Amino acid sequence: MQNKTGPFLRNPLTIDRIMADVRIALTPAIVAGVIFFGWPALKVLLLSTLSAILTEALLLRAPLTPKGIFGDGSAAVTGLLVGLILPPTTAWWVPVLGSVLAIALFKLAFGGLGHNIFNPALGARAVLLLAFTSQMVRFRAPFEAVTAATPLLSTRSFSWPLVWGNVGGSIGETSVIAVLLGAAYLLYRGHINWRNPVGYVGSAFVLALLWGQDPWYAITAGGLLFAAVFMSTDMVTSPVTPLGQLIFGIGCGVLTMVIRRFTSLPEGVTFAILTMNALSPAIEALTIPRIFGLRISQETLKRGIAVTTAAVVVCAALFVVLDRSKPDAVPVFSLGEYLPIGELLGTDDYEVVDENGVRYFLVRDAEGNPAQTAFVAEQGGFNGPIRLLISLDAEHRINSVSVLDHSEDPGLGELATRPEFLAQFAGLDKGSEFALGKDIQGVTGATISSRALVSGVQRALEQFDRTFFPQEEAGAYADGTYHAQVDSFGGPLELEVVVSGGKIAAVNVLKHSDTPGISDPAYANVPQRIVTANSPQVEAVSGATVSSTSIMKAVQKALDQASGDTSAVTVEERTGYAIAVGDGVYRASAEGFGGELVLDVTVEGGKISAIEVVSNSETPFIASQAFDKLIPAIIEAQGPVDVVSGASYTSKAILEAVEKAVSGAEPALVEPEEQQVYEIAVEDGVHRGKAEGFGGELVLDVTVEGGRISAIEVVSNSETPFIANQAFNKLIPAIIEAQGPVDVVSGATFTSRAVLAAVEQAVSGEAAGTEESEDVFVIDVPDGVYRGSGQGRNGVVTLDVTVEGGRITAIAVVESQETPDIGGKALEQLIPAVVEAQGPVDAVSGATLTSKAFDEAVRDALTTKEGQ
Amino acid sequence: MPIMVLPAPDIAVIPLQQHIGAPCEPIVAVGDRVKMGQMIGQASQFICASVHASVSGQVIAIEPRSLANGNKVPCVVIKNDGRDEMALGTKHTDLKKLSASDIRQAVKDAGIVGMGGAGFPTHVKLTPPKPVDTILINGAECEPYLTCDHRLMVERAPEMVQGLLAIMKAVGAEKGIIGIEANKPDAIAEVQKVIAEYSNLSVASLQVRYPQGAEKQLIKAILGREVPSGGLPADVGCVVSNVHTAIAVYEALMKGKSSYERVVTVSGGAVVDPRNVLVRVGTPIEDLFEFCGGFLGQPEVVICGGPMTGWEIKDLSGPVVKNMSGVLALTREEAAFDENHPCIRCGRCVDSCPMGLTPNLLGEYSDKGMYSEAEQLHLKDCIECGLCSYVCPAKRALVTWIKKGKAGLAAEKAKGKVS
Repeated sequence: MQNKTGPFLRNPLTIDRIMADVRIALTPAIVAGVIFFGWPALKVLLLSTLSAILTEALLLRAPLTPKGIFGDGSAAVTGLLVGLILPPTTAWWVPVLGSVLAIALFKLAFGGLGHNIFNPALGARAVLLLAFTSQMVRFRAPFEAVTAATPLLSTRSFSWPLVWGNVGGSIGETSVIAVLLGAAYLLYRGHINWRNPVGYVGSAFVLALLWGQDPWYAITAGGLLFAAVFMSTDMVTSPVTPLGQLIFGIGCGVLTMVIRRFTSLPEGVTFAILTMNALSPAIEALTIPRIFGLRISQETLKRGIAVTTAAVVVCAALFVVLDRSKPDAVPVFSLGEYLPIGELLGTDDYEVVDENGVRYFLVRDAEGNPAQTAFVAEQGGFNGPIRLLISLDAEHRINSVSVLDHSEDPGLGELATRPEFLAQFAGLDKGSEFALGKDIQGVTGATISSRALVSGVQRALEQFDRTFFPQEEAGAYADGTYHAQVDSFGGPLELEVVVSGGKIAAVNVLKHSDTPGISDPAYANVPQRIVTANSPQVEAVSGATVSSTSIMKAVQKALDQASGDTSAVTVEERTGYAIAVGDGVYRASAEGFGGELVLDVTVEGGKISAIEVVSNSETPFIASQAFDKLIPAIIEAQGPVDVVSGASYTSKAILEAVEKAVSGAEPALVEPEEQQVYEIAVEDGVHRGKAEGFGGELVLDVTVEGGRISAIEVVSNSETPFIANQAFNKLIPAIIEAQGPVDVVSGATFTSRAVLAAVEQAVSGEAAGTEESEDVFVIDVPDGVYRGSGQGRNGVVTLDVTVEGGRITAIAVVESQETPDIGGKALEQLIPAVVEAQGPVDAVSGATLTSKAFDEAVRDALTTKEGQ
Repeated sequence: MPIMVLPAPDIAVIPLQQHIGAPCEPIVAVGDRVKMGQMIGQASQFICASVHASVSGQVIAIEPRSLANGNKVPCVVIKNDGRDEMALGTKHTDLKKLSASDIRQAVKDAGIVGMGGAGFPTHVKLTPPKPVDTILINGAECEPYLTCDHRLMVERAPEMVQGLLAIMKAVGAEKGIIGIEANKPDAIAEVQKVIAEYSNLSVASLQVRYPQGAEKQLIKAILGREVPSGGLPADVGCVVSNVHTAIAVYEALMKGKSSYERVVTVSGGAVVDPRNVLVRVGTPIEDLFEFCGGFLGQPEVVICGGPMTGWEIKDLSGPVVKNMSGVLALTREEAAFDENHPCIRCGRCVDSCPMGLTPNLLGEYSDKGMYSEAEQLHLKDCIECGLCSYVCPAKRALVTWIKKGKAGLAAEKAKGKVS
């Protein structure tokens, strides 16, 4: 047996005692957290601590005694730390998951206490932060009194509440006093020494000073001090060498400050310390202490410091570079949540468009018109850039403003990134007053961030408009009322424009002959849009483009009198096209900006009556401008017009293609047809027509009055909502107007076809005979009671069907094993329905098999069985 | 605890090796009658110290006997006749008349070794390879329990100072400094009284800390000189001697008395009546405990030396030897601990290591047989003070592993595995 060797005395200090001391040191922070944040904070701490202890006990298969489960107490410390760095309002499962991660993944998986590389609590926090960001930044102000303190805080300078801790933040991090009490105890007990925390806090202080920030604020706000005392000093994951501890602390401080200042990461302390944890073994190897009786060479010392400094600098640079080089289109950060752009836009069906050096996201409506446009804007906030996703509707009003990422202080500037504040932007447009206190109310405590957001949104809107809608300066129109008349779809359109204060004050349509129903939206909306935009160029109402364009044209004409000036779409006298072709539709193409542009030009009576874009690869927005402005202009001018500025390529392509089409170079695509008219083969009255649509049968009632279709009503349909509605809303008035088949509505082709077929069927009189072919049971049995059966879900369903006077008068269930709540109920519903319909009825949903069996049994009874 | 005299044993077992270096040759035969103080084993080599009879009587055996540590070494076994007949050497009266070589020879003849624990032959120490300007007397006695040096300074300060002067003369040093920890004010007072008349002697009151009495730390504390790694005190111009050794030098020169007895601290929580006892070399250790009232129950461990650097006594019948400063019987409460939890890297060992080493790594490497890695971290500079193990909250056997590592490294070097 080997002799025991010394020392035979041991310091009474044990790991258990150290852990107990750390818990004692954490007590002030726990008490402060519970005082400031109340029961939710206590709940988080209890959950995190219990989860940590139980996780360790389970994984280590500890003996099931209180002492065995509690172990050396290190799990309890980790659990407390996990809880203390969580916001008090987090969901119950966050502390639980955090502690399980900390113990299982960041501690035991590395080999348990002493072997883990990363601070378990911070490792868990990093995972939670990245996975459940919103849960991690949901801060809350303590008590109610915080409002008094925030104005001071919003100036990012030191204030006493930071010392007491009655500010928003993680449970254990807010009170400087509590943390310092814990630090004093740990120092007194010798569990930490000055080097690490002083290096941490000191370097942060110095950097803040150098960067012109309030250094006292830098070290008292957020989790820095708590981390410097309880996290960076974690024995296991920091160097054991004295110089190494100092370097470790300084590295933590530098990284924290760099992350806070130069990156948009929501958290500086966690990532700083985890990075230094990773560097810890290297730092330790480079800072082996001076050995007694050995002179340490200056070179060794310098090399150690140089290498570790370089490592810290590289890490800091990496953080900044990685943060800056985040791709834009990936899930982004908003209010602490990583959301795909699609979620912010409300649809995943969006296009990413890069144009004029700007990337934006475009959502089209069913017709392919731009319905929503969103783009990313950036504005300097208090701590760094705030990035926004601004979504505009078709009228270029703000749909929504979302914050993608920011580095504002939780509980302060961050308040301005919350939905309550952002919601104020909805409905504003570039004409709104973007100033705090006007259209937008600032957030107390986040004045600077509020202001930044407001000016960011305003700037972005202006920028967007300049980029995509280059417009003439809204010339100061001379006040007055101006009349103008133009030819519209159905005839002359007459309106007056009231100019007041140099702006368009009102547009009053005096007279028009456009198709009622179709053109109504245009007359309802376009004048208002023109007034709002103070410009005759506004977006046309889809489905009423011609009327819309006519209104704009008329307003322009009126305003031309008001300004005596030209505008972008001046209709000048020019040489018209030499129409070298007869009536018909001619297709021609030209090379546009993005590729081939194909047009169909309709010539009627030797004039261009319509130009339709068949296909194009042009940039949306820009091209649509050209289409919307140029095409009506060409039709009006019957000749080439000025190109639309900002879309010259597309404009030129259109002009070229039109010229080609009318030059006779291309053969006629469609010979002009007489407008098709339905032959009404039925008398006045309501006639039903059916056709197979996209989703199933489509049934229409067509009202014929005086040999004309006067109304069409959809009786039933299984079409896709929205898409089909389009077809109904547009097609039906068009059919009535045309009294004949019209073009299908693009995007709803099947439904359109079904509507046309059904109308045709209804007016042709063919529908009459088909009616009720399947809708009643054929009863060719004498009166009596007939038994029939069918196979149900659970077995045979047997019925007695009573026939009286050739009609089913009663049905009784003889035998059924159907599930009472489902099949049984279905039978109860089916019996009266069948008696009333005298024919098959729709299956009861959820009980299809029983319904089928019922149907089968009734038929069985009526056909094959003898009367009873 | 005043020094009390332990009666001589009936049978004295005197090991032929009680020092660092080669064993000495017996120069008596079984059946020979020997006197107290008579040389019975002669130094065969330079680094070797002769041994002397501690009782008068008859040699009854020369054979390997079990020592306190359980090892068997050749011993001369003498049956005490109880007459205490003395065989004295030359008694000098005036130090001034002696030459350096006279002193060295007298010390060698008296078989004096370092009595603080190491047991290094003193005559070798008095032949330093480099010029020495200062002699330090190590009165720090920093280990807990041990008080023999303290008592000797209080009771026999004049003899110690004479011994110091002799040593200074032997090595040609001009200055002598007695380093005493500040928690022994009575000793400081006594020594100061004695040295008042000597201008080249002084007392250094030292901070109370462990291991203040470690040679290199003592030199650093008193003179501010740092012995280079792998070097000797002579490299920084000094020699360090133990209190008891100085007194032994005095006795050899002035009383003609060879080194056959010493003061041993008998202490520990398991000892009924702890004492400092003057005891003959070769006395069974159990006699000491018996003299001090025996044990209070079963001691957890009985150790030789201080509780920090001492070693376990396996055989209580083993003899007291010249470098045995104390025997301690510790209770379960004092010495019980469960060992070896995982290292939590608290850094206490690094902070406390008086040599500036990284004991956590040295221990780990040594335990895992990674001797060359440990050597790169200056394994050989470890003075085995045991402080790292003491402070370790995980109760890791750091110094035990380091000792094992040193042995392992030496073995590998011997085999030529490590270049």
